Amino acid sequence: MKARFALIVVSFFAVAPAFSDTGRQVDLDWLQTIAFATHQTDYSGTFVYQHNGHMETARITHISDQNGEHEKLENLEGPRREFIRNNNEILWYLGDHKAVQVERQYSGKSFPALLPEQLSALNENYFIHTAEQARIAGFDTQAIVFQPKDTLRYTHKMWAHRDSGLLLKAVVLDERRQMVEQYTFIQLKIGGDIERTQVTTGQSATTLQQQSHATPSEISTQTAMNDWKVVAVPSGFKKIMEMRRPLPGKKTDVLHFVFSDGLAGISVFIETLGNHFNRKLGLSSRGAIHVYSKEKSDYLVTVVGEVPPRTVMQVADSVRYKGQ
Amino acid sequence: MKQEISALMDGELFDDDAEAVLDKLKRNPDKHDEWRTYHLISDVLRQPDHVHANISIAIRERLQAEPTVLAPRSRASHNARWFALSAAASVMAFTLVAWLSVQIGSETAPQIAMQQSNVVHSVSLPANGLDDYLVAHQEFSPSLDVYGMTSYVHTVAHQQEGK
Repeated sequence: MKARFALIVVSFFAVAPAFSDTGRQVDLDWLQTIAFATHQTDYSGTFVYQHNGHMETARITHISDQNGEHEKLENLEGPRREFIRNNNEILWYLGDHKAVQVERQYSGKSFPALLPEQLSALNENYFIHTAEQARIAGFDTQAIVFQPKDTLRYTHKMWAHRDSGLLLKAVVLDERRQMVEQYTFIQLKIGGDIERTQVTTGQSATTLQQQSHATPSEISTQTAMNDWKVVAVPSGFKKIMEMRRPLPGKKTDVLHFVFSDGLAGISVFIETLGNHFNRKLGLSSRGAIHVYSKEKSDYLVTVVGEVPPRTVMQVADSVRYKGQ
Repeated sequence: MKQEISALMDGELFDDDAEAVLDKLKRNPDKHDEWRTYHLISDVLRQPDHVHANISIAIRERLQAEPTVLAPRSRASHNARWFALSAAASVMAFTLVAWLSVQIGSETAPQIAMQQSNVVHSVSLPANGLDDYLVAHQEFSPSLDVYGMTSYVHTVAHQQEGK
């Protein structure tokens, strides 16, 4: 009798944590599935993007083959703006004439899997749990909520296709549960025959303005970086990159720091004031991305991030130069 | 008589003697002052905070005796003194604020910024200049891993906002 009781106790303690772990693991697995599907699935669809009281439509096409990823994002309203991506190379079209080439500058990242550090950071900074199931654009989806543990970041809710894992809807909420931005697919084709021409159109009629861009070997990561410090990075954000880089339209290089909490990113740009022409200082926003610029002695500090305004302001105010 | 009152208050008299002293006090009102004085002394010795000394009559008599002076006050010296005092107070207040801000300044600055930001309504970005920052940021943002190219919608969409 005693032995049986002991067995029950032991098995309880052995099984109970296992259950709670699997619950969490399922939610994290969803995120891995989403990240995988985003980069490995062929799809083409139209989505509605809502932000700041505006609503507009855009079309995205994504093909993954033996040569890698090919992708195109274009707005369907107003003057033409689009991105075309071939693996790490991104072409950015403005209007009908101008193309700007932007090269992705880090090669160490192997898509589509999320890095283990990124997943553990997510776990530390957000309560992740699955929510309701819903039907979006004719597909059955599972909702996953990323609830932040503080008010320095936003709540993210995503609806993933239950079969492929593709994101069909995503909404960003502030601390009062107000919508900051949202996108929803209204029409989507997953797999099958996606027209390849959709991701390669546009070049013939345009003149390509190739911007100077550095390759990873040219980037020196040490020069002068130690002189600058970001003192008040919100807890949970870790520096994932720092470099001196060129930026289109800038005569001199800028310093670029990137911090990540696993889901949201914060970039800090530092440049000499001579670089900035008629730039408006202060806070601006585009959906869930907030930008805050301020002068710091002879330099311009610009902070960009998918975080609330207070967070980018706090980060910008905490930039220090060599012990100042 | 004084010694008898003192002894009575100290409880050093036998009952008979005490009654005799009390009788004497009742019959001689002029001894009441002595009685009060000894109680005052006793009170001061025991509880200096609660002394019942009726000095109001004496003060009123002294005030009535004083001559009334009808002359302007010497304002100059008065004002100078007040000015000096208020200046000293200002300096002290300033010092306190400065000291406080040195003590907690670096910590509270972000907090203040946080509270203000709730009120601030950010405006839409101007068409030029910030796109480069956005694209540069999006290259490295972890949101690209999860959202894929849809995260670039911030840059593609903004043209509509200007209208």
